[in-house]
Amino acid sequence: MALPEKISGRIWRLGDHVNTDVLHPSSYFSLNEMRVKEGLLEGMERLRADGKIDFLNEGLVIVAGENFGCGSSRETSVRAFRTCGVKGVVAVSFARIFFRSLVNLGIPPFECREIHHWAKDGDLIHISLQDGSIELGNTRRFPFSPMDPHIKEILEAGGLIPYLRREKDGI
Amino acid sequence: MGKGYTGEIIQRHADGRREGEYLSVKVDFVLLPDPTFALLLSGLGELGGKIWNKEKVLVTVDHFAPPSTIERANLAKAVINFAMNEKLPHCFIYQGICHQLLVEGPWVRPGMIVLGADSHTTTAGALGCLATGMGSTDILYTLITGKTWLRSPETVQIDLKAALPSYIMGKDIILDLLGRFGEGGFLYQAIEFYDIDGVIPMDDRLAICNMVVEGGAKNGLFRPDEVTREYLKERDDHLGQWENPFEEELRYTKRIEVDLSSLHPRVALPHTPAQVVDVGEIEGEEIQQIFIGSCTGGRLRDLEQTASLLRKRKISPRIRLLITPASQKIYQEAIKRGYIQVLLEAGGVVLNPSCGPCGGIDKGILGAGEGCLSTSNRNFQGRMGDPSSRIYLASPLTAAASAMAGRIIDPREVM
Repeated sequence: MALPEKISGRIWRLGDHVNTDVLHPSSYFSLNEMRVKEGLLEGMERLRADGKIDFLNEGLVIVAGENFGCGSSRETSVRAFRTCGVKGVVAVSFARIFFRSLVNLGIPPFECREIHHWAKDGDLIHISLQDGSIELGNTRRFPFSPMDPHIKEILEAGGLIPYLRREKDGI
Repeated sequence: MGKGYTGEIIQRHADGRREGEYLSVKVDFVLLPDPTFALLLSGLGELGGKIWNKEKVLVTVDHFAPPSTIERANLAKAVINFAMNEKLPHCFIYQGICHQLLVEGPWVRPGMIVLGADSHTTTAGALGCLATGMGSTDILYTLITGKTWLRSPETVQIDLKAALPSYIMGKDIILDLLGRFGEGGFLYQAIEFYDIDGVIPMDDRLAICNMVVEGGAKNGLFRPDEVTREYLKERDDHLGQWENPFEEELRYTKRIEVDLSSLHPRVALPHTPAQVVDVGEIEGEEIQQIFIGSCTGGRLRDLEQTASLLRKRKISPRIRLLITPASQKIYQEAIKRGYIQVLLEAGGVVLNPSCGPCGGIDKGILGAGEGCLSTSNRNFQGRMGDPSSRIYLASPLTAAASAMAGRIIDPREVM
């Protein structure tokens, strides 16, 4: 199973309506993974005044506001998340193409309104799929919206392509 | 319920499989522009490389058209080689922007499900179909299976009423809606437009549907009517099968009315398409570049309106005016009708049909602190160049008037 029961990491907090052009500038569009990763670092630079994320290696969980990932359908931003080891994304709401692309590439998205207000960059976060809740810094706990069974199926397969292989084998 | 015509279309395409809220549906047509196609080529190869139905796929080289770097040349080359080797019947190289080519060819009709590997695929909804954008992996799934998984969105009915003033274009109508409802105001909803008085030309409908995605909508469509009928008849030389799907009663979650006669020309301020003001509120703002083009604002009516204002006039020497017709077909028609000559005499520079400046891909990149008034769809920070540059979105009429003035002005001042 590619969808772990528990996800832990450190938070990179983003605001409302963060679009894919800012997150991953189009000049970094590439098939080269390292170049794609540089694009995300550039996006981080543009979105944060206080320098680059220094806890990428610890495992990153993004906590964003409303309409996260609006704009272009270019999947490179989500690919960069995968390359950088982003373990999950929590948002108040997601732009629909971005939501699908996260699921398709095996990065679980969680919808949760309350946590966005409390989360700070670098905070520890623990997501429990079994409990349906997110723990922030071992003190606060917030429920996330139940995950649709179809979305869960794709994530458990490890993304849409493994899901397709399974579907083809099954039919 | 409130699922509108979009829900009807989804039901009619369902193959009986359901998981959670998602239905497996058959897809009628797929649009594949070069960059996002390049992203899925290796995955397609790993899955055996067999496309479910080549007749139902349109490939365009329009983003890297022609390429401006070695890397992009190689991406475009990979796409072209694949299309040639696989003998894909509909592959257009440098012929125009994918969203325009998609509606110029005889493929898309009312009631269809159309997917594209580009967020502005919503454009084709102007023909009365469910058209929406997806990421490369989703499109890869469809290329192999001919299907996709969709949820039925809540549907909003928008009635566009009264006469369209000569200074108002489709761009003003969609900017007005985005300003009123916000960047995520239609998140995950379908928008269905009713042109009550039949006054909105097809080119303007395409611009409106193009930008519904800026409000977060899954898709936007126009109720098929006489305008649709005429468009299809002229495009295909025959009407073909014509079934007006809107004859039965449809239900909507919400209904919005727009009185077209009361609209003023609108401008979106940096850095979101939803921060919208009447042009009067930003009048006098200094800009250095004006871009008339893209899948939103580079169609024949856009060029016609631009030329009508610029005829026998000059643009301000402070302004760089870039014009990109949305397709070679539009370009040729604009030459025939004399629009291009007018634009050149006024001081404009005409670029070849491609995505170009809109996505900061090539030509017309903005320097630090520069301002650009653009007829395109997105003014996100840094989209057209330096992160400190500013993009204002407006109609081609407002753009043409501002080109003359050298600053943002109301087109009514020069009409």
